[in-house]
Amino acid sequence: MSGIVIAGASRSFGTVRAVDNIDLVVEEGEFFTLLGPSGCGKTTLLRMIAGFCELDAGEIRFGEQRIDKLSAHRRDIGMVFQNYAVFPNLSVAGNVAYGLKARRVASAEIATRVHEALSLVQLGGYGERMPHQLSGGQLPRVAIARALVIRPQVLLFDEPLSNLDARLRVSMRAEIRTLQKSLGITAIYVTHDQEEAMSVSDRIALMNAGRLEQVGAPADIYRNPTSRFAAEFMGTTTLVEARQLGLAAPVTVSLRPEALRFAEDAPAGWPRLQGIVASVEMLGPITRLDMKLANGTIVRMASLDAPQRTVRDGEAVTLAYDPARLTVVK
Amino acid sequence: MSWAIPHQQRLPLGIAALGFAFLGLFLVYPLFQVFSASFLDSEGTALTFDNYTKMLGRPFYRAAIVNTLEIGVAATLITTVLAVPFAFALARLPIPGKSAILAMASLPLILPSFVSAYALVLLLGRSGIVTQWLQAHGIGFGSIYGMGGIVLVYTLTLYPYVLLPTIAAFKAIDVSMEEAAQNLGSSPGRTIFTVTLPIVMPAILAGGLLVFIETLENFGVPFVLAEDMPIFAVEAFKLFIGETAPNPSSAGVLGVLLILTTAAVLLVQRRFLGARRFATNARQAAPLLKVGRSLQAAATVYCWAIVTLALVPFFSIVVLSFLEFRGPVLHPHFSLDNFGFLFNRALRPLFNTLIFATVAAFCVTLIGVPIGYVVTRYRSGVASLLDVMATLPFAVAGTVLAIGFIVSFNSGALVLTGGPLILILAYTVRKVPFAVRSASAIVHQIDPSLEEASISLGRSPVQTFLRIVVPLMLGGILSGMVLSWVTVASELSATVVLYSGPWSTLTVVMFQALESGGAGIATAAASFLIVVSLLPIVLLYRLVRRYELS
Repeated sequence: MSGIVIAGASRSFGTVRAVDNIDLVVEEGEFFTLLGPSGCGKTTLLRMIAGFCELDAGEIRFGEQRIDKLSAHRRDIGMVFQNYAVFPNLSVAGNVAYGLKARRVASAEIATRVHEALSLVQLGGYGERMPHQLSGGQLPRVAIARALVIRPQVLLFDEPLSNLDARLRVSMRAEIRTLQKSLGITAIYVTHDQEEAMSVSDRIALMNAGRLEQVGAPADIYRNPTSRFAAEFMGTTTLVEARQLGLAAPVTVSLRPEALRFAEDAPAGWPRLQGIVASVEMLGPITRLDMKLANGTIVRMASLDAPQRTVRDGEAVTLAYDPARLTVVK
Repeated sequence: MSWAIPHQQRLPLGIAALGFAFLGLFLVYPLFQVFSASFLDSEGTALTFDNYTKMLGRPFYRAAIVNTLEIGVAATLITTVLAVPFAFALARLPIPGKSAILAMASLPLILPSFVSAYALVLLLGRSGIVTQWLQAHGIGFGSIYGMGGIVLVYTLTLYPYVLLPTIAAFKAIDVSMEEAAQNLGSSPGRTIFTVTLPIVMPAILAGGLLVFIETLENFGVPFVLAEDMPIFAVEAFKLFIGETAPNPSSAGVLGVLLILTTAAVLLVQRRFLGARRFATNARQAAPLLKVGRSLQAAATVYCWAIVTLALVPFFSIVVLSFLEFRGPVLHPHFSLDNFGFLFNRALRPLFNTLIFATVAAFCVTLIGVPIGYVVTRYRSGVASLLDVMATLPFAVAGTVLAIGFIVSFNSGALVLTGGPLILILAYTVRKVPFAVRSASAIVHQIDPSLEEASISLGRSPVQTFLRIVVPLMLGGILSGMVLSWVTVASELSATVVLYSGPWSTLTVVMFQALESGGAGIATAAASFLIVVSLLPIVLLYRLVRRYELS
């Protein structure tokens, strides 16, 4: 296999075009994320690849092999479900062995491979436990081991961390990323959390209303969003008509909060903006600040915490921005 | 690609096709035959409404319709009025022995209602024990034959249909609803009538309609107690089996009218309840109310009185079966003669009952569970049509279905009359709705992603169904099977029409004994039936308990 090719994939539910003529190529060994708000079609697209959702049009290939007409159980795909779907009637080892038994692997080999897979997700010694005896953080590990052990061509993740608490989510996503890279397996990951997407992905496909909004490396999309949607969904930004900032061009621009500084800290060449502080949020390491310009435009700014400076609501401030970080969006 | 059907839909469509084939042949086709018999003239060639005008023109059959409806309405109202306070007391008041009350209250659902009617005759009938004792002391009382007795038996045997869902509804009310009402200034008493009762109303109505439909279809109770009073299901049977000449077209008319009535009731229920479903997800069950001692005592007596009264007929028939009968006359000596008779003369029907019930329970499960799975998992026109079709037997009285079976399978390509298979098929069709409902309820609780996980790990949909879905449903499937087994074992209305020669059952033995006055063997058969109904339930309960504890 060399990569996954999705060509012209479409699917409607009633009048809603859940997936609308999507073309994508996922490289072999890549960690690829489908990112977007709920209802954008990312899960439908993932389920198309897995074989749980039919295509109205288009095709999906693994390398040369066309798979979209193949039954789901013949696709050789590992999938980690949002709620993990760990079979409650089977032990941990029984869950992990399930796919191997379906493939009629010899029982001696099953034992070794189950053992390996469980050690890989740090569940060595938990094989005899029943799922209801596991903690919330162990269930996703079982699900991952179960998906990996069949050595699938592709690993699919359907929002696997959305049910975990914040701390666990951060440590699990790093683990998933490390595991995927060490095995070199192609992975497609679905999430609505842009921070999670940026932290794990080689590339991200940002989706909106069934269409691809932008595809690229996380930093690339963040720094050079091509649309208003991309600019706003990937972190915080100020979207403003260029004229409001005193520029001539009739375009909309996106200005990230961290591209602004207090005037006294900024290089001399950066354009200045003057206004009144509309609101301040002290978040610990950073302080967020909304500044209202004379023409009413709100500009968002974020700065690392500086103990010598405390800004208050209603205070007049002068900010400066890095002109190189203004991006024009559609 | 081997088929044109998308791979996700092969399993459900396959199951649906089998379901349609089975229900089409053994439900729709016989009903159609009843229907067409009612519209054909005596030659069987021309279409006519004559049968209807003739039947409805006779006061006797008009009275049958009126009597049946009157009894149904009376029984529904009385069960509801009795069961709702009962349910409220069990759900919200401190009553001692609640779990015992609940267990006893479910028993009438699995015990054959005509046994209760028969016990009433033995106790309070013309030559009943209690009647005679009272007469010896110079006390007389009204007749238990006719409407009063029938309504009494329906009340005692059908009240759990209202009680059980209403208890569940009372328990599902979130406590915050009532707290909100009281916080807005409503007194606790007013809150019950303005908030609590309206929320549980759909459950009460659903239960009440079940009672009504059961009374329309019931054959055994009016057969025992109606005497000369014409009742729908009984008259259809008499017309068909015919002391004079069998008359399928007139029986067909009654059958069609009966089906139309139940169908109308079901439609009203759907329309009415569809608009009134209150989602009350109880995050916290409402606490027990604090009440005074006298009210608590009254409620306790009330609950215990109802459950006990309902079981008295069954209990007394077991006691009576160990006494000596000479003909219909009872003597107060302990005796095993009745059972001796039963095992001597009715061993064959006894084994038939056990075998039919077992085979039918397996068939019901094999057909009902996959259908329940499909109608729950797949939302499509085909699935909802299958759902409607699989619910249909519920609206069809056993007598009517049986008449359709005889008309359909008496001649032609498929001849089943005269054998045991026709009974098993009729039982299977009649109990399929229950298996579908219970399977559907369990499938609702199984996360679909478990099946997808299995499929993506390489098991085909069929293997996934067998290896993941079935094991997870096992508890429900088993209890559904036991329930089918128990209700088939005491089935009477289709059996009396369909049995022939050596293929009679225990209920038929009782039925014949009723007609010929062989009370002794009937009590033994009834006791045996009660025991075989209770035994599997108790075993299952223990099995489930052990499973849950481990």
